[in-house]
Amino acid sequence: MEFHIDKAKVLPKENLEKFLEGLKKLGRLIAPVRKGEKFVFDVIRDVLDVEINYTRTILPPKKFLLPYRRERYTYSTDTLEFKSSFRPVEQIIFGIHSCDLHGISILDSVYLRDNPDPRYLEVRKKTVLIGISCRPDEYCFCLSTGTAFPDGANWDLFLTDIGDDYFVSIGSPKGDEIILKLRKIFREITKEDLDRYKKSTSFKKALFEIEKLPDFGRISQVIELEYDSPVWEEEAKRCLGCGTCTNVCPTCFCYTCVDIPDLDGRKVARVEFTTSCQYPYYSLVAGGHYFKPTRADRFKHRYYHKLVGYLYQIEKLGCVGCGRCSAECPAKISMVETIKKLRGTADEEELREAPEQTTTG
Amino acid sequence: MKKSLEKLLNKPLPGDPLLPHKALITDVEELAPDHKKFSFTFLDEKLNSSWNHIPGQFVMITVPKAGEIPISICSSPTRRGTIELTVRKVGRKTEVLHRLKPGDLVAIRGPYGNGFPVEIMEGHNVLIIAGGLGIAPLRSLIWYILDRRHLYKEVYVLYGTRNYESVLYKEELKRLRERDDVKCLYILDRIETEEDRQWTDRQGLLTELIPEVDLDPTETYVAVCGPPVAYRFIGKELLKNGYPESQVFVSLERKMECGIGKCGHCQIGYKYACVDGPIFPLWDTKNLPEMI
Repeated sequence: MEFHIDKAKVLPKENLEKFLEGLKKLGRLIAPVRKGEKFVFDVIRDVLDVEINYTRTILPPKKFLLPYRRERYTYSTDTLEFKSSFRPVEQIIFGIHSCDLHGISILDSVYLRDNPDPRYLEVRKKTVLIGISCRPDEYCFCLSTGTAFPDGANWDLFLTDIGDDYFVSIGSPKGDEIILKLRKIFREITKEDLDRYKKSTSFKKALFEIEKLPDFGRISQVIELEYDSPVWEEEAKRCLGCGTCTNVCPTCFCYTCVDIPDLDGRKVARVEFTTSCQYPYYSLVAGGHYFKPTRADRFKHRYYHKLVGYLYQIEKLGCVGCGRCSAECPAKISMVETIKKLRGTADEEELREAPEQTTTG
Repeated sequence: MKKSLEKLLNKPLPGDPLLPHKALITDVEELAPDHKKFSFTFLDEKLNSSWNHIPGQFVMITVPKAGEIPISICSSPTRRGTIELTVRKVGRKTEVLHRLKPGDLVAIRGPYGNGFPVEIMEGHNVLIIAGGLGIAPLRSLIWYILDRRHLYKEVYVLYGTRNYESVLYKEELKRLRERDDVKCLYILDRIETEEDRQWTDRQGLLTELIPEVDLDPTETYVAVCGPPVAYRFIGKELLKNGYPESQVFVSLERKMECGIGKCGHCQIGYKYACVDGPIFPLWDTKNLPEMI
C-alpha cells in the first residue's frame, strides 16, 4: 500500500534542496552527478551537484553495497589469524531509478537468502534507498522485464515527478522516520496529487515504443529451446569479450578472490574483485581446462544465467531492463536485438498477418 | 516479495561463512609422483570434535600466501580427529601446498557441497567407480560404507589408472582386495613393468569392468569420480548395462572461489557445483548440457 493516500506525502520541488541537506545530516549522501556527457553515482559534498534528470548512470548503485574491489581479510603468515578491517558507514543513496532498485532487491536475494553474507547484510542495514521516477530512452526496456515501477522492490522512499511536486511514497519504517524528521518541508497529499500521480505513471508507460520492446513472456523457455541456435555463434562473433556488459549490470555479482602478500610476504590481503563470465579464465581450472572454452559459450552463458539461471536460483529474472549492457557495449551488441533474433520475431509478424493458416493442427 | 525481503534484512548478523579456521598439518604422505596426502587437525579442539562431513563433500583450504583452493575430503567421517586431503600438484597453489611439511599451518573452512546420498544408498548395493585421482573423494565413501558395512548390501570397487606408479593408496587398496565383504576390480591402462603385473593382470579401460559387475542394476547405487572425459564413457556403459540414471552419481569439478554459491564461477547451467553439487545424478546431465 505504499502508493496509497494514507502512506504518501508531497514534496514541493522547491524544497528538494532542503530535503537533500536534511538527508546529508543522516549519513553519507550518494546521488547521481554529471561526469562529462554521462552520469555517475558519487558521494555528494554540495547538494547543488545532484543531477535529478538523468537516464542512466555508467555503473549501477551496486558499487556502494558491493564495491568492485574489496578486501575481505588480512592475515599474517606466521599466525594465520584472519582479521577484517571492514567498517560500514551509514549511507543514503538518493535518486535510484526503479530498475536499479529491482537490481538491488535481486542482489539482496543472492546475498542474503542462502548462506547469508554478514558483510553485505551489515552494509544493507546501514543503507537508505531513495528512488526517483524517470523517463526511458531508446535503450530502456524495463517495461518488458516488469521493473519499470518500484512495486515490491526494497526501498525506503520513492519520489515520483508530478509536475511542480514530488509524490513521495514511503516503503519502510526507515523511510517514515526520515519523513518525520524533515516533516516541515513536506505537505499532506490531496486527491488532485493522487490523480497527478496516476497520470504521471501512465505517461511513463506511454513513453515506451511498445513495438520496439522485446517480449519477455516465456523468455526462459525460449532460451532453453534455442540453446543450440546459430544466433549465439553469430552474435558472439562481434563480441570483444571485454566484460563491460557484466561490469555495468546491476544484478551481476560474480567475483574472484586472490591472496596478495606484502613485499616481505608476512602479511597477506585477501582481496575480492568483480569478475565477468565473459573472460576466458572465468571457468579455467588448474591443469588448464576451460569449461566454457569459446566466446560463444560465454556469450550464451550470460543470457542463460540471467534469463534461466536466476529463475531457478532466486525465482526472479536476472535482467531489470536498465539497458546499460547495450548502451555501453563497444561492439554495439544489444540484448534486445539478440532476444528478438532468438525469438524469431520476424516469424511472429508473419503469423500475425496470416492467422488463418496457423490455426490448423 | 517485499515481505520476504524485509525478512531477509531484519535477520541478525550471521556468523561469517567465509572465515577459515587454523589447522595444523600433522602428516604428509607421498602417494605417487605429484600426489600427496595431507592430514590436518584444527587448532581449535572444539572444532575438531564437532567436525562432521558427508563423503563427497569438499573444503576450501587456504595455502598461505597463495590463496584458497577447493579440495575434496578423502578421509571418512567415521574416523574422526583428522581430515585428510589428497592433492595433485597441478597449478600454482597446489605447488605451494606441496612444499609444506608437518607442523606447518594452513586454514580450512567447510565442509561444503552436498556429498553422496549415503542415507538413500542404505539397504542397496553400492558400485564405486574411480578413475585416477577420482579415487580420493571415493576413498571417503569406501571407508564410510565399510565402517557401517551392515547397512549396505553388496559393495563393488572398480579402479582404473594409468600404471602402477600412479596408483594411489596402494597398501589400502591391496588390503581392500583381501577383504571378503567387498569385491574389487582394478585395471591399468598400460602394463609394462613387473610391478604393474603384480598389481593387476588386467589391461584396458575402466569401462571394460562394468559388464563384469554381478549386481542387480535396479537395486544398485553407483558413485563415479574420475577425469571429466571419463564420465561420458562410463555413463554410457552404465546405462547400457541397465543402471538407472537417477541412481548413478558423478562428482564434478569446477573453478570455485567461495564454496557457498556467491562467486558464480562454478555454474553448470542453472546449478552451482558448490551448493547443488559437486555430486549430481547422471539424470541431471540431460538438463544441463554443459555438465559433462
